[in-house]
Amino acid sequence: MNTTLLITLGLLLVAVIAGATYKFFHGRGHKVVGNECVDLTKLRADKNGDPVLEFGSKATLLMFSTKYCGQCPGVRRALAKLEHRHGTLLFIEADITDRLDLAAHFNITQTPTVFVLDPQGKIRYRLGGTPKPGVIETELTKLGVK
Amino acid sequence: MNEKNHIDPRGPRFGAGITTVISLLAFAASLENSALAYSILVVLAVLFTWSVLSAKTHPFSLLFKRFVQPKIAPPKELEDPRPPRFAQQVGLSFALLGIIGGLIAPVLISISAAFIFLAAFLNAFFGLCLGCQMYLAIRRFGFIR
Repeated sequence: MNTTLLITLGLLLVAVIAGATYKFFHGRGHKVVGNECVDLTKLRADKNGDPVLEFGSKATLLMFSTKYCGQCPGVRRALAKLEHRHGTLLFIEADITDRLDLAAHFNITQTPTVFVLDPQGKIRYRLGGTPKPGVIETELTKLGVK
Repeated sequence: MNEKNHIDPRGPRFGAGITTVISLLAFAASLENSALAYSILVVLAVLFTWSVLSAKTHPFSLLFKRFVQPKIAPPKELEDPRPPRFAQQVGLSFALLGIIGGLIAPVLISISAAFIFLAAFLNAFFGLCLGCQMYLAIRRFGFIR
């Protein structure tokens, strides 16, 4: 009986540690080194029904979502609000539920994943999950979004 | 998807809380009494199947609507029911792993209960939906289409 209790408590502990680690690292993101640019013709994203052909003048937020993604609607609203506040910022969303080629190309294993792109479309920052408050804003400030 | 079909996201989390307790019991039982653990897994599999087929009539959902929802503030936002349903399918496949695999190797009963517990616990207490997160990874490696 004692061993059972110990192992069960051990499992509980593992779960708590996993959850705390997730909470800590989730939504922080990291800088992207390298020169990869997003190719809008290959991305084939659309915005309100029109194809997206140009990047935002100062920065672009690219969010990858799936139909099954539970946190995507909240993140979408937050990013759309940012776009609304800053005229130099463009927000685009790519639904990759049926675009596994895109997921493989950008090595996306979770949604939402948000990319911060510079005016040339170069990937400067990537963040998986729900962004922690202020993280995206800080990256946008670096790119000169006012 | 029609907005009016959307659900209060706290409903599935409440359900995950109950699943957490049941699956932890199943895990503890699997170390002592395989037959008992096996029957709890069958109960879990039935509950998961129920969620996948008709989440609205699920007992946890009714409990939530009857006892919890009236006592808490109205939801700040509603959620698409598909991600939680997919997560229930993942839960069901783990339960089936234990039920089918448990016939051959009883250790699979423990493994299955442990995974269900971990997923349900992280969902209920940390708001992390493992099944939803895994969706892309699973598809990219070709296990489902």
